[in-house]
Amino acid sequence: MSQDAAPHAPTSTGIDHKKLIMWLFLASDCMFFGTLISTHLLYRKLYPTGFTDAAGHQQFIQHLFNIELTSFSTFILLMSSFLMALAVSAMHKGELKSFRRNVLGVIFFGLIFLGCQVYEFTHFFHEGLTIQNSVLGSTFYVLTGTHGTHVAIGILWLVLMYFYSFTGKLGGHVGALDVEVAGLYWHFVDIVWIIIFTAVYLVEYLGPSGIWGDGLPAVTK
Amino acid sequence: MSEAVLDPKTLAVETERYHHFITLALWLAAITGVEIVLIFLPVAPVVILTVLSLLSAIKFFAVILWFMHLIYDARLLFWLFFAGLALAFATFAAMIILFSVDRIDTKWFA
Repeated sequence: MSQDAAPHAPTSTGIDHKKLIMWLFLASDCMFFGTLISTHLLYRKLYPTGFTDAAGHQQFIQHLFNIELTSFSTFILLMSSFLMALAVSAMHKGELKSFRRNVLGVIFFGLIFLGCQVYEFTHFFHEGLTIQNSVLGSTFYVLTGTHGTHVAIGILWLVLMYFYSFTGKLGGHVGALDVEVAGLYWHFVDIVWIIIFTAVYLVEYLGPSGIWGDGLPAVTK
Repeated sequence: MSEAVLDPKTLAVETERYHHFITLALWLAAITGVEIVLIFLPVAPVVILTVLSLLSAIKFFAVILWFMHLIYDARLLFWLFFAGLALAFATFAAMIILFSVDRIDTKWFA
């Protein structure tokens, strides 16, 4: 085993319980998001017609998405994951100041991501896509909203960890392990977005009317 | 404050990882850029979808292996996570196969 397995109380697996439990949680969260993504894709296939806005016009999600904004927030989340990796590395080296700098960066990038999501949701809502008026709205908001909630929880966790680091109790191998566990959670949020970015956003741009078609019955084409 | 005394071996390992992380971050950014360009190329959607899925899988595994330290950690953790991932993918595949009926609602919107 590598030196990542920092000294801890002996366990039957040789892995610290906190880390083991976090990985188990992430595996279960994988199934959770797997179900949400499957549901969204399935209903996109079964109900390709998009949604009807307040004026009664049929709208297509392709016209609503802003790929530049989503790409930007994807890039931001990827870079926050990079900073998180540096923060964990800093804690392993015992560099508390470097850890704080990097964690502040992660928090900042996380807040930008959330800001982009709030902007996107607000824009979609004003364009007529609500959680109630279409299957697309329901699956889209539930999926991306659940992910956003995960991001918000991650930010809260890191903010608490940042302030906790000033108490002098966040240090040594135990502190490094705590930061690593928080880092695992943050990276997970990032990998879920990697999938959402492709499965929910990018596929809408394939072909002239998206991978799901324009929603028109085949007989009218 | 706990600025720990550095073990030279730990320092060497972490410094090496630091460089790996930077390289990986650049690759991830580049792959994301390629994905965005791909969707505007006049190529068959099936081809692009395949490439996009492949690129996403590369990004996904790059993050879990390096950023999440799975490549450095105990193998058990990888298999634990992989079990969840496999179940998620199996759920996805089962749902797509079970409900593979095209456009069931078009008559309501036509």
